Formats: sequence, C-alpha cells, structure tokens
Amino acid sequence: MNSRRPLLGWLLIAPSLIGVTAFLILPVVLAFVVSLFRWDLLGTRRFIGLENYTTLLSSGALTNSLLVTGIFTLISVPVSLALGLVLATQLVRALPGSAIVRVIVVIPWVCAPLALGVVWKWIFQPSVGALNQILGVRIEWLTDTSLALPAVAFVAIWQNVGYISLFFQAGLTRIPDSIYEAARIDGAGPAQQLWFMTIPLLRPTTFFLAVTQVVASFQVFDMVYALTGGGPQRRTEVIASLIYNEAFEASRLGRASAVAVILFLLLVVITLIQQRWFSRRITYDMS
Amino acid sequence: MHTTTDAPGAAPTRPTGRRRPLTGSLLARRLLAHGATYLVLAVAAVLTLGPFLFSVMTAFTSTRQFAQEGPLSFPAPPVLENFIGLFSSQDGFVTPVVVTVQMVAVILVGQMVFSVLAAYAFAQLRFPGRDLLFWVYIATLMVPQVVVVVPLYLMMSEVGLRNTFWALVLPFVLGSPYAIFLLRENFRGVPSELMDAMRIDGAGTLRLLWHLVVPLNRAIIVTLVLITVVTHWNNFMWPMVITSGPEWRVITVATSALQSQYNNNWTLVMAGTTLAMLPLVILMVVFQKQITRSVGDATLR
Repeated sequence: MNSRRPLLGWLLIAPSLIGVTAFLILPVVLAFVVSLFRWDLLGTRRFIGLENYTTLLSSGALTNSLLVTGIFTLISVPVSLALGLVLATQLVRALPGSAIVRVIVVIPWVCAPLALGVVWKWIFQPSVGALNQILGVRIEWLTDTSLALPAVAFVAIWQNVGYISLFFQAGLTRIPDSIYEAARIDGAGPAQQLWFMTIPLLRPTTFFLAVTQVVASFQVFDMVYALTGGGPQRRTEVIASLIYNEAFEASRLGRASAVAVILFLLLVVITLIQQRWFSRRITYDMS
Repeated sequence: MHTTTDAPGAAPTRPTGRRRPLTGSLLARRLLAHGATYLVLAVAAVLTLGPFLFSVMTAFTSTRQFAQEGPLSFPAPPVLENFIGLFSSQDGFVTPVVVTVQMVAVILVGQMVFSVLAAYAFAQLRFPGRDLLFWVYIATLMVPQVVVVVPLYLMMSEVGLRNTFWALVLPFVLGSPYAIFLLRENFRGVPSELMDAMRIDGAGTLRLLWHLVVPLNRAIIVTLVLITVVTHWNNFMWPMVITSGPEWRVITVATSALQSQYNNNWTLVMAGTTLAMLPLVILMVVFQKQITRSVGDATLR
C-alpha cells in the first residue's frame, strides 16, 4: 500500500525538514555553544568555558528560579486538576443549562495569557483593583513577597481549570454506567464511588494531564511577565523569566543560554522518567 | 432488587429506576443533588466570566467616571472614547491588528501546506531515512520556545532580519512537527484502493492530496487550523523579542506596551485587552464543537 517513491518523498518533506533543522535543532545546538561564552546584545563575545554555569550556581538566581517554578508547579497543577475533576463530574451530568457552562469555562484557555495577565494585574491593583473593592480590603497582592507567587499560581489555575475539565469529561463519559449501577446496588455512596471507582478509572487521563501540565508550567512566561515581571525581589522569577531577564534586560546572552540548557535537560529528564513510568503503568493495568 | 443482605448499614438502597414514582425523600435528594450541581456550575461560570465582565465594563467607562467611581461602577453612559483613543493615537492598535492578522494568515497557510505535504509523505510513501526522520520530528516536540529564543534571536540578527515581518513568521511557516504528527496518524487511514483508483485515472500527487486526502481528513484539519490560529494570535515572547518599535508590533506586544506606557490609564488598557481577546472568544464560541472535540485528537499544548 505504501508506494516507494524516494525522490517525491524527500521533496515533500524538504520544506518542513529545513524548518525543523534551522529553527529547532540548530538553535538547541547553538544554545549549548552560546552558554560557553560571555556574549552581550551588541555581539561582543568571549569564550569562558563553564563560567556561566558556575556563576549561576553560586549566585543563587538559578536555585531561586528552580524553587519558584517548583512551588508554582506544586500549587497550580494539583489544584487545577482537582478543580477540573470536580467541575467535570458536575458537567457530565448534562443537566439543562450545563452546555452553556461547558463553553464558558473554556473561554480563558483560548485567550492570550499575556492579555489575561494584564486584566488580572488590574484586578489585583491595591487601590483601583476590583478584587480589593469587592473584599473591602487593601492588600498588595502582587507586590507582597509572600502573596505574589500564590496570586500568579491562582491566575494560572483560573485559566486552566475549564480546559482540564474537558479531558476529564471525555474520560468520565468512557466509564460505563453499569459499573456505577453495580456499585449503587452494593450500597456505595457518591463519595465512595468517586474515591474508589471514578478516580482510579480516570488514572490514564489524570496521568496524561499531570505530565502535560507539569511540562507546561515549567515553561510559563507570558502571564508572569504581565503580572509581576518576576518580582517582587525575584519571588515570581520562574525559569523562563530568568532566561528573558538575563538575555534581554541584563544583556547576558551566554548566561541566559546556560539557564536554557539546564531547562532543556530538565525537561528531557522529566519526559524520559514519565515515559518509563507510563509504559510500566500500562503493563500494570493490562495484567 | 431488594437484596440488601450484604450491604452493611446501607444508606437507603432504593433502586433509582427512572420510571418509578418519586417518593418524598427521593425527590428531596434529587433536588439536593441537582442543587449542588447547579451551585458548582454557577460558581464556575461566575468566576470565569467575572474578570471578562470587569474588563469589558471598564473598557466602556469614561476615564472621568472610572476615576470618580472606581472599577465596579457600571458605565453610565457607555462610551467609546477608549477604543477611539486606541485607534487614533500614533502608536495605536491599527498597525498591531493588521500585522497580527497578516502574521497569523501567513503562518497558517504555510504551516498547513507544508505540514500536509510532509504528513502525506510520512504516511503513504516509502523512502530511505523516513522512520529515522519521523523520530527526529517527534523528538523536537520536546523543545520549548523559551529554550530556543536566545539562539533564534542571534540567528535572525546575524542575517539582518531583526525587526522584520520575516522574522515573525519564518520560524513557524515551514510546518510544525506537531501538526505533521497528528496529520500522519490520520492520513494513514486513507483507503489505498481510493488512492490507487485516482492514480490510475492519472491524478498527480497534488491532485490526490487536494481532492482526496484533505477532504477525507477535514475534521482534523479544522482542529489544527483552530489550534494554529489560537497559538499564533496569542504568541508573545518571540514577537516581543524579535521586533522593536511600533512598526511590526503584534497585538499582544501592543497590549503589553500599552500597559507599561499608560500605567494608570486602566480604561484604555482594558480596551486594549478586550480587543486582543475578543476575536478568539468569538472564534471559540462559533467553533465550540470542534474545539471540544480537539481534546480527543490533540494530546499536546
């Protein structure tokens, strides 16, 4: 059924191969190279070996942004998954009117994180912001060193819950009703059904979402840029913000590339671990 | 049905068959259950829409009313001065809207054409190196934009393309590994008898693609078109880095610039965010079925 036409095959692939090579593979290689230089925005460069890496490790900026990204991930991923599941269990009951809600909750996901970040920055404003006006308080949500990161994580959760619930809805509709009927006959209440049946049966969906959301939250940038730019005092400086700030604010392209290399290796390791785990899980499920 | 012998301390195990008359307690429980569902749905809808309502309301509020009455006041009367201001000022939103539409259009056409060509080759043709190449494409799915942004910036500067339209589209226009991956999975399902029949009738590869493969896979292509439009309309980091000044500013960059330039003029800024988000919200509502279904097809993003 496959026809053997080598020339045509290569011809059809050529444009995308040029694109993949020039704009994905070459830049990754280049990131490794640039990370070994002191390199500024004017183009001045000098080979310095691993100095960018040692400086990063000793200055604390890298550790800080790894920690910030880690905390951000640990807050936003579990909470948005849990809320997404709760929302999905209510949406799949398909009561009259829920079709509209199903559309509404996905709206934030199609909007630019940058624009949403600007809207939420305004909502969080201490004096003219809507949130403080509603609550009747005057809290510095984005400039308080202990509130800024949870506030940023909150906005990320707000944007993603509806989208995540789509996947859970798809997963829930695949669970046959007969299983729940059997459980009801055996006297299992709603809470028991959720804990002992729904959640275990949704494990493939949950796992897929956890993987993609962790990887995505290690790359978050636009929203943080709009909300805080990484401040106050680097408390929201995620890895991507550190790369941007080093390269285009501090004109240290070499050091920024070193951070990029570390992020890339980190993501490769995460992906490999998850893939091993995933294949093991599958065999476990089938046995 | 009343076999409650081995259900310890069972809550009323009344069968919940659909046609049974509702007894009092059952009716009450149903109302309660529905009430809880509606409560969750209402809270979700209000929390989701709230920020949009605030920002749209503020976009239609006059600067004076906003200063006097604060962010929660209903625009009385609703004014267009913020939108007029956006479009009339020197570095306003006219250029960003035009540039963004052009950029998304060029990327969309290029990505679709080149991805379809490559996916067809991967799915239906045999040539040396095919499987290795496909594996390389898959591997590049792991490369995030933030990792390549500095080297890409250096490459574009090196060839003198910084702050040009080409710099905006070039990294994306030659096809996307993600689209190629999804399309290949779908193109493999095209029946070979149909393709052979068309070939016997003398159809070339392009006619085969345009009249058979693409129409048969319309659903996944519509999904990919939507994903591509959303992704590139919303893209911020690359356009911000590679352009400078108002000439090639896209709408996200203009929104960000507006916010830092008119720091406390929130009515104007909210008009900007409204314009940046409105087209995609409309797109989302119009194509809600395809977007919901895309969750089944698309396993990334």
